[in-house]
Amino acid sequence: MSRTMESPSQPQDLTSGSARSAGLVSRRRFAYLASGAVLVASLATACADAEAGSGKALQASGSTTVAPVAADAAEALKAQGLNITVATQGGSAGGISQLGAGQIDIALSSKPIADADRSASPKTDFVETQIGADAVGVIITKQVADAGVKNLTVDQVKGLFEGKITNWKEIGGPDLPVFVYDKEPGRGTREVLDKYLYHGEKPPPPPNSDNFAIVGGNLETRNKLESTPGAVAPLSTGFVEGRDKLAVVTLDGIAPSSENVATGKYPMSRPLYMVTNGQPKDTAKKFIDYILSEKGQALLPKHGYLTLKQIGK
Amino acid sequence: MTAKTLVRPPAAPDTSPRPRPSSWVWAWVCAGALSVAGSLLVVVGYLGAGLFSGKVDWLALLAGASWNPADSVFGGLAMIYGSAVVCLIALVLAVPVGWAGAIALTEYLPPRLAKPLRMSVELLAAVPSIVYGLIGILAVRPLIAWIGDVPGGDSLLAAGVVLAVMITPTVVAVSVDALSAVPDRYREAAYSLGLTRREVVRSAVLPQARQGMRAAVLLGLARALGEAIAVFLVVGRADGRLPTSFGGLVDSLVHPGQTLTTKLAGPEPVLAGTSGPYFAAICGLGLVLLALVALATVWGTRRSSGSGSGLGRDRQHRSGRMRGELDKLVRVLRLGALLLPGALLVAMLAVLATRGSAAFSPSFWYTSASGSAGGGVSDQILGTLILITTTGLISLPLGFGAGILLGVHASARGARVLQTVTVVLGGTPTILLGLAGFVIVCSAMGWGRSWLAGALVLVPVVVPVVALTTAGRVSGMPPETTESAMALGLSRAQYIRSVVVPYAWPATVTGLLLGLARAAGETAPLLFTATVFFGAPAVPSGIVNAPVQALPTHIFTLSQDSGDPQAVSQAWGSAMVLVIITAVLLSVAVALRNRFEGERWTT
Repeated sequence: MSRTMESPSQPQDLTSGSARSAGLVSRRRFAYLASGAVLVASLATACADAEAGSGKALQASGSTTVAPVAADAAEALKAQGLNITVATQGGSAGGISQLGAGQIDIALSSKPIADADRSASPKTDFVETQIGADAVGVIITKQVADAGVKNLTVDQVKGLFEGKITNWKEIGGPDLPVFVYDKEPGRGTREVLDKYLYHGEKPPPPPNSDNFAIVGGNLETRNKLESTPGAVAPLSTGFVEGRDKLAVVTLDGIAPSSENVATGKYPMSRPLYMVTNGQPKDTAKKFIDYILSEKGQALLPKHGYLTLKQIGK
Repeated sequence: MTAKTLVRPPAAPDTSPRPRPSSWVWAWVCAGALSVAGSLLVVVGYLGAGLFSGKVDWLALLAGASWNPADSVFGGLAMIYGSAVVCLIALVLAVPVGWAGAIALTEYLPPRLAKPLRMSVELLAAVPSIVYGLIGILAVRPLIAWIGDVPGGDSLLAAGVVLAVMITPTVVAVSVDALSAVPDRYREAAYSLGLTRREVVRSAVLPQARQGMRAAVLLGLARALGEAIAVFLVVGRADGRLPTSFGGLVDSLVHPGQTLTTKLAGPEPVLAGTSGPYFAAICGLGLVLLALVALATVWGTRRSSGSGSGLGRDRQHRSGRMRGELDKLVRVLRLGALLLPGALLVAMLAVLATRGSAAFSPSFWYTSASGSAGGGVSDQILGTLILITTTGLISLPLGFGAGILLGVHASARGARVLQTVTVVLGGTPTILLGLAGFVIVCSAMGWGRSWLAGALVLVPVVVPVVALTTAGRVSGMPPETTESAMALGLSRAQYIRSVVVPYAWPATVTGLLLGLARAAGETAPLLFTATVFFGAPAVPSGIVNAPVQALPTHIFTLSQDSGDPQAVSQAWGSAMVLVIITAVLLSVAVALRNRFEGERWTT
């Protein structure tokens, strides 16, 4: 149509013939597009109105430790028409803060609710339901373990994570530099380690060392441990089972066996929770009840965790 | 019959009046422009509001070396240092290769070879960053560990290398555009003086293309500065030590570090809540990042201000004893530089094809995922398509409106401001869009994770591309068209409706497809707003609390478990599917543009 436009000898053609029809066609097309967009927008608003409050899928989010169990349970309940989503952004603390902000229905947590969490969200009535327990191990590479590091004392672990022990030969291992993978702030695993090392006191800032990196979820931790010689990291022992490149050490001579976790002898065990705002009801109750049932509890050992029965609850 | 053909067939009586004065045209183009300005305002407003929610010690934030939220110590220097270092490494590696490759493409290769190669470079530039991240984890990290004797390989150097690989295609593509814009008469004149090819390029072509080639570097820098996910996966994320000596500086390169984007992509923005000094410090870092990227983008896309060519002239040409040899050497170097991106493309395709073999099985495309690394990716494909379709539907009218307004008023000062705003919005790091979307849409509006929230977050990624391609097309309109329209006494609104819109829409569709190709691979913002680890239905049944699964998130999750061969194979398969989706969008866009606007490639 631009060709028509360019012929000034026939200005009258502008409003008739091809220019007009082409213009009309594209105008119509845009009218369709525009009305389509409006339709989508209004539908969107309508849906939002209709569904605000009624809550479609049950939203669970938080700990990467609890997430596999929650995902398995959600998969099993799908057959009963229950719709549950599981997310892991930000780990346990992320889940708790999202529950506090009312964004999710269940926070998956591998640490108890702290007073700081309660004071951060005063309107939320945090109710913890324990679904099992887990042992966090101090994980090292097979190479280091084979060279003689089988056990660590609390001071040695402290030395490693504070960057004071920089070579494995200082504690009877091979001549290999230590590489520390620390968990992101807010991760349940890290808080268990902090509790073991500092007994509730504020942990010191990260070591002033070059051989130090941060990791997030459990899969990432495991992957980085496996690919780094001389690495050490806190990691749920369930994630190490069957991995021939990694080894769990005993802490002060105590292995993370189920008996030791159940009796509380092993210092780095932790409860696993589903946290709700108020007592769980409706879908959340069904979901949590399933995990507490025999079938649900059977999911825990599958991922290397302990059932409530195993820890005597 | 013959006589009749000379007579004009009687025109049907023109029943419709002249185009009615259409006020909706203004409402629409202004809505488009406002959406651009609004999106940027929302991001800046979110960061600004954050700043005012707690006291920010700017001196500490910009010059303090220690970041320790537990003690309320917020020093961002380590992150600023990390960002600077990784970008510098990326530029040092990418710019010489990119420039030389671009020169080889335009000046040395015959068009028969250059054409498909340019197309490949375009495709490389559009490969989603999560795919580069995957390559980083599986190839660059072990490589650095092996060469640098670094445990693990997580380091600033690894991040810099990944970014270099990412931005080289951008540098090549934009430089090629600048070089091919140099008229052939310059080359002919130079050859006729008896100069060798190297001398022609140096003294006739490069001075003309310098502005554009500098823009290529700045756009590459903007991309490197704003990239979150690919860096996140390989940088180690330790706040790190600041070097005190040159040796320390070199040493810090091969050790874990932190950049502004990785700090923001980690858990801390979620942990910081929505007010207080911690949140304010996070927002302060975001603002620093936004300012840096905006500076690079605006400077990079600034129109040439005529200050042109000083650099080449003050250097005297060396006398010509070794001219022939030098010419040959430079030729080898330049063609060699082209081999690098070429080899990269081949290697990447080979890796995708061999390791992502899952993608060749049809069932991978149409079955749902099962467990952590089993099954197919049909839900993820559907989720990705839902996200980009919605994004496209919202972006098209807005971007088109903004582009028309920009193009029609290209001279007015208001349009210049709008142009700058659009360019800055286009360069805004997507992690910031994701965080703003998370706080505003998902938290404050109570939507939770939602596919529509994800699409809304992607809209600011696409709208600027649509607007700028549309504006480019409109400002290239033949002046006679405008003159005759004005001579007919059309009002501005009528002129836009009947002349500008029909002329511009092919470019708009191209822009839309280019923008969507970019949006399809976005990861960081979707992690915060739209996607979940498990359990999202294939098709969401509502808006509120209705997440989807998408390919980038799927790859991100799988790539974290790269110790598991099955997860790795699934990750590569998904990456291949994602690359195919991007490539299809891009190829259609390029084909469309070549049809309507003549042969041109650059995004």
